[in-house]
Amino acid sequence: MSLNNLILLTGRTINQGVALEGGKTTKENVRAAGICMIDKDDFKNLDCLAGTPIKVTTDHGEVMVYSTISEEGPHPGIIFIPMGPWANQVVNPDSQSCGTPTYKGMKASIEVVKDGKVLDALQLMELLRS
Amino acid sequence: MVEKSIKTFYDVVCPFCGTLCDDLEIDVDLKENKVVEVRNGCQIGTKKYYSSNPGAHRYEKPMIKENGTLKPVSWEEAIDKAADILVKAKRPLLYGFSSTECEAQSRGVELAEILGSILDNTASVCHGPSLLAIQNVGAPISTLGEFKNRADLVIFWGSNPVHAHPRHLGRYSEFVRGYFRKDGRNDRYLVVVDPRNTHTAQLADLYIKVNPDEDYELVNAIRAALRGVDIDDEEVSGVSKEDIMNLVDMMKSCKFGVLFFGMGLTHSKAHHLNIDAAISLVRELNDHTKFLLTPMRGHYNVTGANTVFTWNTGYAYSIDFSKGYPRYNPGEFSSVDLLLKNEVDASLIVASDPASNFPAAAVKNMYKHPIISVEPHETPTSAFADVVLPAAIAGIECEGTAYRMDHVPLRLRKVKEPIGETLTDKEILERLIKKVKEKKGE
Repeated sequence: MSLNNLILLTGRTINQGVALEGGKTTKENVRAAGICMIDKDDFKNLDCLAGTPIKVTTDHGEVMVYSTISEEGPHPGIIFIPMGPWANQVVNPDSQSCGTPTYKGMKASIEVVKDGKVLDALQLMELLRS
Repeated sequence: MVEKSIKTFYDVVCPFCGTLCDDLEIDVDLKENKVVEVRNGCQIGTKKYYSSNPGAHRYEKPMIKENGTLKPVSWEEAIDKAADILVKAKRPLLYGFSSTECEAQSRGVELAEILGSILDNTASVCHGPSLLAIQNVGAPISTLGEFKNRADLVIFWGSNPVHAHPRHLGRYSEFVRGYFRKDGRNDRYLVVVDPRNTHTAQLADLYIKVNPDEDYELVNAIRAALRGVDIDDEEVSGVSKEDIMNLVDMMKSCKFGVLFFGMGLTHSKAHHLNIDAAISLVRELNDHTKFLLTPMRGHYNVTGANTVFTWNTGYAYSIDFSKGYPRYNPGEFSSVDLLLKNEVDASLIVASDPASNFPAAAVKNMYKHPIISVEPHETPTSAFADVVLPAAIAGIECEGTAYRMDHVPLRLRKVKEPIGETLTDKEILERLIKKVKEKKGE
């Protein structure tokens, strides 16, 4: 299943903050930041279990992350990826000449990929290096 | 008699976020040189202290990349290689600095000037737009103690302190008792404006759900209503006219209001224009009552980086030394914009991890050129660096000064010895400066 016409926001979460202190290249960081938080009702339309990998696509790229149900809802039509390497695959790098990229407010779609592989931070970087 | 080896350090300043909590208690096993207990810290600050202990994630020796893998070398060799990369580069970038102390930051400025390089700190991808707006319209700010003692209306706009500044609500803005707010939480009214019903919003007395990317319209609708203009629409940015009028009444009638704002305003499309409007709103509110604002700064010493860069060069971030004197132009000399244009041909990253925090297109270009990483831990930046210079962690393994988000400088403490062969950021940069000068024949 898939959902279109979503808006992607990114930002800090406490788990992501904890993971980055000395654990950026570990699985802890994948669990903290390699995830996408989806509104409870939107999630029902995906017809999958929480934790199933999903592919998030924006005009700027795509990334595979684990799906989760948002605790900070309801926010129908909005998805949230914690700041970090996963979010940065799909954010808008354009700063509109002010220096700061547009990390929030990208149009996005998501698609359930049951056998999708969520990469860890270093594997994502390998992709950028190739 | 058994020799006691546990020492407790009191009133330690936490080097994690801009709140710079100064009441941590750290138990250190002096024999083992290990942090064994952390009290009073939030989840993240506590983790930072524990992860300073030796482990697979911490660098203890300088390293140089040989045939694709990092090999331990002597400090002399590593500094020589790093200086070589920097001197040979045509447009080197010096980036980071927000998670280290002020003395190291000022060495960074010195090195940038000698190299004629780009000098930038993490405000570039964070509160840079706030700095731009403050340069445009000024900022009515105050120290956090004033808010704690006086504020009866607290607004968090596009900021989620429960996650990003976990102890802010408890120490300064919400639950704490203040001189004129004796009943703590009950004496304050908390408003949260956010597109998501965040954990902070769930604590609020009033949650205003704004549409993503439409903060600018909402701020200006509030400004218009404040001036007595009748709003034409029934709804602005997803917020009903009634809610806007209620909020305006609340703002006008409070005794002392404060607006804390975060990435929700700086990272959305209108960037600095959002902040510009928000500051103007706060300024105009002072016609009716006392109202102030404070940006919720992320890295514990990003305020210090802005301050140190400013008193050295005149500018807070995005500085170019290529003409021999400092020039400032975010959008042109900001790290992400330079990397997107593939202008940077070598990077020195101090206490930061742009590979994790820059958009992928910028990271891709950063990896095309040599990287020198001054870093205590393994990160996606340092893992692929050409030279890794292992640093002692400021505020844990060395002293220094850091600026809280409200520009109050606090002295960081040293609670344990640096591990392995690590040196402080300041020492590393001083060695680099010396070597670069030698190579340039100065």
